[in-house]
Amino acid sequence: MVKRSKVARILALSVMATALIGFNASESRADAATGKKAFDSKKCGGCHYTTGPAREKTIADQLKKKGPELWYAGSKFQKEWLGAWLQNPKPIRPLAYNSLTKKNPGNHPKLAAGDAAGVTDYLMSLTSKDVAAGVIKAKKNLKGKLVFTKKMPCSGCHQYEMRKKVKGGLSGPSLVGAGKRLNPDWIYAYLKAPKAFKPVKMMPVFTGILSDKQMKDVSTFVANFK
Amino acid sequence: MLRSAFIFVALVIFGISGSGEANAAGAKEVYDFYCSQCHGATGKGDGPNVTKDMPVTPRNFTNAAEMNKLSDKDLRDVIMDGGPALSKSSIMPPWSQTLTEGETTGLIKHIRKLCKCKGK
Ligand code: HEC
Ligand code: HEC
Ligand code: HEC
Repeated sequence: MVKRSKVARILALSVMATALIGFNASESRADAATGKKAFDSKKCGGCHYTTGPAREKTIADQLKKKGPELWYAGSKFQKEWLGAWLQNPKPIRPLAYNSLTKKNPGNHPKLAAGDAAGVTDYLMSLTSKDVAAGVIKAKKNLKGKLVFTKKMPCSGCHQYEMRKKVKGGLSGPSLVGAGKRLNPDWIYAYLKAPKAFKPVKMMPVFTGILSDKQMKDVSTFVANFK
Repeated sequence: MLRSAFIFVALVIFGISGSGEANAAGAKEVYDFYCSQCHGATGKGDGPNVTKDMPVTPRNFTNAAEMNKLSDKDLRDVIMDGGPALSKSSIMPPWSQTLTEGETTGLIKHIRKLCKCKGK
């Protein structure tokens, strides 16, 4: 008898849990839908495209873009960072998008907290099948550091922070704080199959130049930038 | 009449498909996109990545005396495999997986124009 009621209780609990999970999922889907409306009404799509696969075929295609592609935003960014950045968009790229002469004007459209939350849910729902989850964990990695700072030209184009000093080149997005901004697994996926995300870009393709192990090491290292 | 119209249409179609080659980015476009970020728009080694943090300055392509020391094969090797191919700095990236053969050949010609030199 006792056993029976225990089973019944577990059953009831699991039914409740399923209902709760289901409810949560539909709620975040509703938020994504509201977020998409805000994204459209604020005309974010005028500078960002949100449906994959990647469309750029030529240098001219890339140079025509007014902002980075967002169709895999949910695989690329960390949700917490995204929600905060949309409300307070500090420059990521030192130079203006697609420019080698102008400084980033730092005038990205800002969203109020409510809109930012919805748009974050919407953007986090845009994912790419080319990003495997749980491969890279941010941590210190001496081999990765060696690749980034010595063996390869990464530091020639990317800013990063070392011993409280920001250094490095300016043509690529700054990697200062990349550990809070980027999904570690996306960094590796991007190095491994860059053309799935950015078929035409000023950064060299390292597939076939770095070993798989080196790509994992350098992704681990970059993912640890605070 | 019909026949000349046909020839006209054929010529137009041929003309369009013939321009396929022009679709492959021109050497200057390739240089401006990939190389000028370090070597500078006019090749003087003064692109926006050249900050005080850069351990070596990118080769100044307008320095004919220096550029004459490099053969076209040297240029190809260093563009494809990066600085270490010629015992130079690894800040010069390897482009073998990025550029096509044709684009690399175009770049070598473009660099020779910038230095107004033939190389050894
Ligand atoms: C006038 C063009 C323009 C509009 C409109 C615009 N953006 Fe952007 N967006 C940019 C540019 C340029 C960047 C790169 C900013 C930087 O590097 O600091 C960017 C960056 C971003 C990023 C980070 C992407 C990355 O890969 O680094 C997100 C997310 C984003 N925008 C979302 C939005 C949203 C949401 C809206 C609408 C409220 C919007 N943008 C409207 C041009 C635009
Ligand atoms: C020649 C310059 C150059 C070099 C060398 C270079 N990068 Fe990049 N990198 C870029 C540019 C430019 C982008 C942005 C591409 C785009 O969005 O079109 C980029 C993008 C990235 C991104 C994504 C950043 C973001 O917010 O979108 C990561 C991560 C990255 N690079 C890591 C590396 C690593 C690791 C190396 C060395 C193995 C490296 N890069 C070498 C220029 C460079
Ligand atoms: C991240 C910065 C960077 C980028 C991008 C870059 N270079 Fe370089 N390049 C350098 C540096 C630094 C040197 C000098 C290396 C040294 O002297 O040790 C150099 C040297 C060279 C040399 C001379 C090598 C020698 O033996 O003196 C050639 C040729 C060259 N680069 C061609 C190119 C071409 C072509 C491109 C574009 C496809 C390009 N580089 C892109 C940084 C860069």
